[in-house]
Amino acid sequence: MKSSKMTNFLSICTLSAVLVAGCSSGSTETGTTTDTGANSGSKETKQEIIYASSKDILDMNPHLYSGSMPAQGMVYESLVENTADGIKPLLAESWDISEDGKVYTFHLREGVTFHDGLPFNAEAVKKNMDAVQNNKEKHSWIKLSTKIVSVNVKDEYTVELVLSDTYYPALVELSMTRPYVFISPNDFKNGETKDGVNGYSGTGPYKLVEHKVDQYATFEANESYWGGAPKVKRIISKVLPQGETTFLALQKGEVNMVFTDDRGADSLDVEAMNTLVESGDYQLVRSEPMNTKMIVANSSRAGNPVQETAVREAIWYAIDRETISEQIFEGTEAPANTLFSSNVNYANVDLKERGYDVEQAVKLLEEAGWSLENGSAVRTKGGKPLAMNLYYDVNSSSQKVQAEFIQHSLKEIGMELELTGEESTSIANRRSTGDYDLLFNQTWGLAYDPQSTISAFTSPSSYLHTTSGIAKADELYKKIEDVMVSTDEETRKSLYADILTIVHDEAVFIPLTNGSVTMVAPKQLQGISFKQTQFELPFERMHFE
Amino acid sequence: MGRYILRRLLISIPLLVVISFLTFILINLSPHDPAELVLQAQEVPVITEELLSQTREELGLDQPFIVQYIEWAASCLQLDFGDSYVTGQPVWSILGPAFLNTLKLTLVSVAVIILLSIALGVICALQEGKLVDKSVRGFSFFLTSMPSYWLAALMIWYFSVKLDLLPTSGMNSLASYVLPVIVIAISYAGIYFRFVRSAIISNLNEDYVLYGRACGLPEKKITGKILKNSLQVAVSVFCMAVPIILGSTVVVENVFAWPGLGSLSIKSILSRDFPMIQAYVLVLAVAFVLFNTLSDIINAVINPKLRKDL
Amino acid sequence: MSMLRNIWKDKLAAISLSILAIVLTAGIFAPLFAPHDPNEVNMKLRYAASSWEYLLGNDHLGRCILSRLIYGIRPSVLWVLAALAGSVMLGTVVGFLAGFFRGKVDAVLMRVCDVMLSFPGYVMTLAIVGIMGVGLENILAAFILTKWAWFARVIRTSVLQYAESEYVRFAKAAGAGSFHIIRRHIIPVTASDVAVVSSSSFGSMILQISGFSFLGLGVQAPTAEWGMMLNEARAVMFSRPELMLAPGLTIIIVVSAINFLSDALQAALDPKLRTSTSKAAEQTSAAPAKQLLGKEVA
Repeated sequence: MKSSKMTNFLSICTLSAVLVAGCSSGSTETGTTTDTGANSGSKETKQEIIYASSKDILDMNPHLYSGSMPAQGMVYESLVENTADGIKPLLAESWDISEDGKVYTFHLREGVTFHDGLPFNAEAVKKNMDAVQNNKEKHSWIKLSTKIVSVNVKDEYTVELVLSDTYYPALVELSMTRPYVFISPNDFKNGETKDGVNGYSGTGPYKLVEHKVDQYATFEANESYWGGAPKVKRIISKVLPQGETTFLALQKGEVNMVFTDDRGADSLDVEAMNTLVESGDYQLVRSEPMNTKMIVANSSRAGNPVQETAVREAIWYAIDRETISEQIFEGTEAPANTLFSSNVNYANVDLKERGYDVEQAVKLLEEAGWSLENGSAVRTKGGKPLAMNLYYDVNSSSQKVQAEFIQHSLKEIGMELELTGEESTSIANRRSTGDYDLLFNQTWGLAYDPQSTISAFTSPSSYLHTTSGIAKADELYKKIEDVMVSTDEETRKSLYADILTIVHDEAVFIPLTNGSVTMVAPKQLQGISFKQTQFELPFERMHFE
Repeated sequence: MGRYILRRLLISIPLLVVISFLTFILINLSPHDPAELVLQAQEVPVITEELLSQTREELGLDQPFIVQYIEWAASCLQLDFGDSYVTGQPVWSILGPAFLNTLKLTLVSVAVIILLSIALGVICALQEGKLVDKSVRGFSFFLTSMPSYWLAALMIWYFSVKLDLLPTSGMNSLASYVLPVIVIAISYAGIYFRFVRSAIISNLNEDYVLYGRACGLPEKKITGKILKNSLQVAVSVFCMAVPIILGSTVVVENVFAWPGLGSLSIKSILSRDFPMIQAYVLVLAVAFVLFNTLSDIINAVINPKLRKDL
Repeated sequence: MSMLRNIWKDKLAAISLSILAIVLTAGIFAPLFAPHDPNEVNMKLRYAASSWEYLLGNDHLGRCILSRLIYGIRPSVLWVLAALAGSVMLGTVVGFLAGFFRGKVDAVLMRVCDVMLSFPGYVMTLAIVGIMGVGLENILAAFILTKWAWFARVIRTSVLQYAESEYVRFAKAAGAGSFHIIRRHIIPVTASDVAVVSSSSFGSMILQISGFSFLGLGVQAPTAEWGMMLNEARAVMFSRPELMLAPGLTIIIVVSAINFLSDALQAALDPKLRTSTSKAAEQTSAAPAKQLLGKEVA
């Protein structure tokens, strides 16, 4: 060893010099990306979109909930479509609603076939609807599932939907990405879809041709699509779990698109997106603000401080949304102060303003009996510490940063927040089983807000655990029940106002920012638009220049 | 010889039983009630006592512990590890392909490690104490001190971004293997080459070398003999490298988005997919035991002295 | 003590030892060394470059990177050291019992070791984290559980070897009690083996724990830990690579120092044996492969 010290030293010095030089010059890499970007150009001429996704597309069965929504949205279609101008025809060309609002008669589009060649007709509609209804408990979040009495085939292309009550959001709920969409009955297992399906033939503009779990899934244009063959012939969903890998893959052209996923998580941060746009190969497209990103508090969590309104309110006051908006989102997302922004239907309600106010937060906690014992950093009440757990999506870098920021803010008011990062499926599972104190979530987007999000307050699989612990829970549920069957616009308005006021006063949904769907796409891609939902993208309208 | 192999194989059976038993109780060590977990996985919103006891019955959790274990072990033998909580698909249908992907990565890496460590080991041993030996050893210390994800990031940045030679991630072509294999090989070759080196050096000091030289055997022949003797020892070491690396590609897979066991295990942990975690642990522990057995057998074949040990 | 003097003569080892001493001291007295509170968030300083006030700059929450590095010594090095001590202790006790009493005790204990050793370290750690949940304490527990068997084996072999030596036989013949013999004669001579074996796995444990934190399975926010810092830097790895630098180099320097020291320790203990394989393990002719079990790299 002795005589070797010099050489050892030398080698270490050189290596560290190389490493340091290698790393520090990395900051100039944006300059070098122009030539790497040229490679992606050759791919684009092939007319394909390769988008990065943090998860596999998973189970494409459209009557269950684990699959990727953007992927399901390409393959399956619903009877009607929800657009900015209201409900429009899709697989149903027209429909009639009975006087009492309980019977919907749909006249189906003729000549539509499933990807496997089976004709789409009234029989197929009935089989699909029945398959969904046979697995009712899974669909309780969508109130329509509790209202459907029967589905009757009138003739080859006419089908009748009978409801138990008038239910004004019926068409809206039929327009959703799932579950009321149609898969070829040939794919059913024992006449059902609840235990899995044998194939994934929908009627949509794209069909699934290859799926390598955890690697990629390939969708090809459905040349016989009733709406005309899509121009982008191939779409590949590639699994890239990490944000920085996605960024590199985009730079190198291994993928050429990335967008906000169906759980509202962006794998790239704002800065990375800007870098890509500066390289000249990409464009950044942002939808209108579509939803509200928020922290959901489990008011029914027994024995946990989160049950107390004062604690929830204190959290609300202690969060500096301006800083989140400016620093973490670099101004791309505006601070949100209410569950629904005022441009959402029925949501223009006068609610108590709760800005960033640390003193108010402290005052609320003091009044509620949470006091700081001398010397300790965490407040206690009756010997119990003011501590809660916040779950965030590990694949979302912005959620993690927000979580850490909020953790620090709450520490200032003597509240301890433990952070746990998990996969989005696990978080969804916690939400539906009530196994959480606080978690990140978002409202469901323009097509769903407010009616579906609000009706989900009563659904165990969504926000029942969130809302059931509040004092006026019964009153809240009664009003929600009423508003869904009400036919009078004014009554509806006042009921919605009451509902929103109750949940606002109870502070169970703590808003953070207004989120939109963000997409980084090749510069040559034209026709990029968004739907009324954050869960799908109209790929069939896109084309390369 | 055949008897030895048979005996060695028989010895590993009780070990496998104990391992599977430990893996089985692992899930019961969890702070959660398995019945509750299953119901949660099915997204049953309101879990009642009734439902719980019904599920316990369905799962056979009301049966004596040992019966549960035997039933579970029997289905594992048929590669039936239950259904994933996340996707609802059979665990093996997800774990199997991932296992294969990791195995591919491992085998290629081990091949590279063997080549690298034999080459370096021989050079260093023959040059023992000289500059080459010392600098290679010093450098290898340095390389094995690097966090592999850090090294991986550096590699991606240099080879994929800067030089644009190799893909950044995934498993799409042969080129995809290059970077992950290099990262794994660098981390391990540093350890294994030392082993080859010391094996050769200790052989160099053996009496037969002195004796051979004294008898005037050609130097080439002596070197050949030394190599043969020392590599015999190394064979079993390399054999064990397979399961060790199989179980520790986690970080590298994660950085390179390799669709293998490592990525799967992290994802399963972060989505609390307990049947998947359980199967992962069992499959790797079994692989470990099997390779261990294999390594002992190979060792015994090339080095008959050892057979007495059993 | 002559061992220490030997090591001190080797300049590289001396440097390594000094680095470790500094790191350990800084970790223990972190509040004295750190210029700022490691958890003090200041969003206005998000990603700020280094300045006189913040020598290494600020992270994504505007926290002082230098202070976080210093506080990070605690989980990244000190806690690992504690876990190592725990598993060495456990392994030593088992190894002594097996080596000294032989017979049935030995057979039973070694079978238990076999079982423990047949779970690869990483897999065992992932299993424990998977079942008990993510967090530093679970990983440390997993470390103790997975490593002790390996130490036990090595120590047993060296005890076996010393138990056969002349002076121990003499002590036995002279009627000294078992514990007396262990304490007076065997512990002192096996201590050096223990030192070699444990120092060689210390480095890989540091790498592993940072690896788990990097994957998001270890330390949870806001605790400062090197792997966690790298995990945070990872999100902006290609737009702000400099954030990967400080924690990465720190890990490399510390682990290198440990490795060099461990090597020097071996050389000092037995000048003939200048290899990384431990002396005790080399003498287990049964399966040389097994001595590499402890060598898993992060």
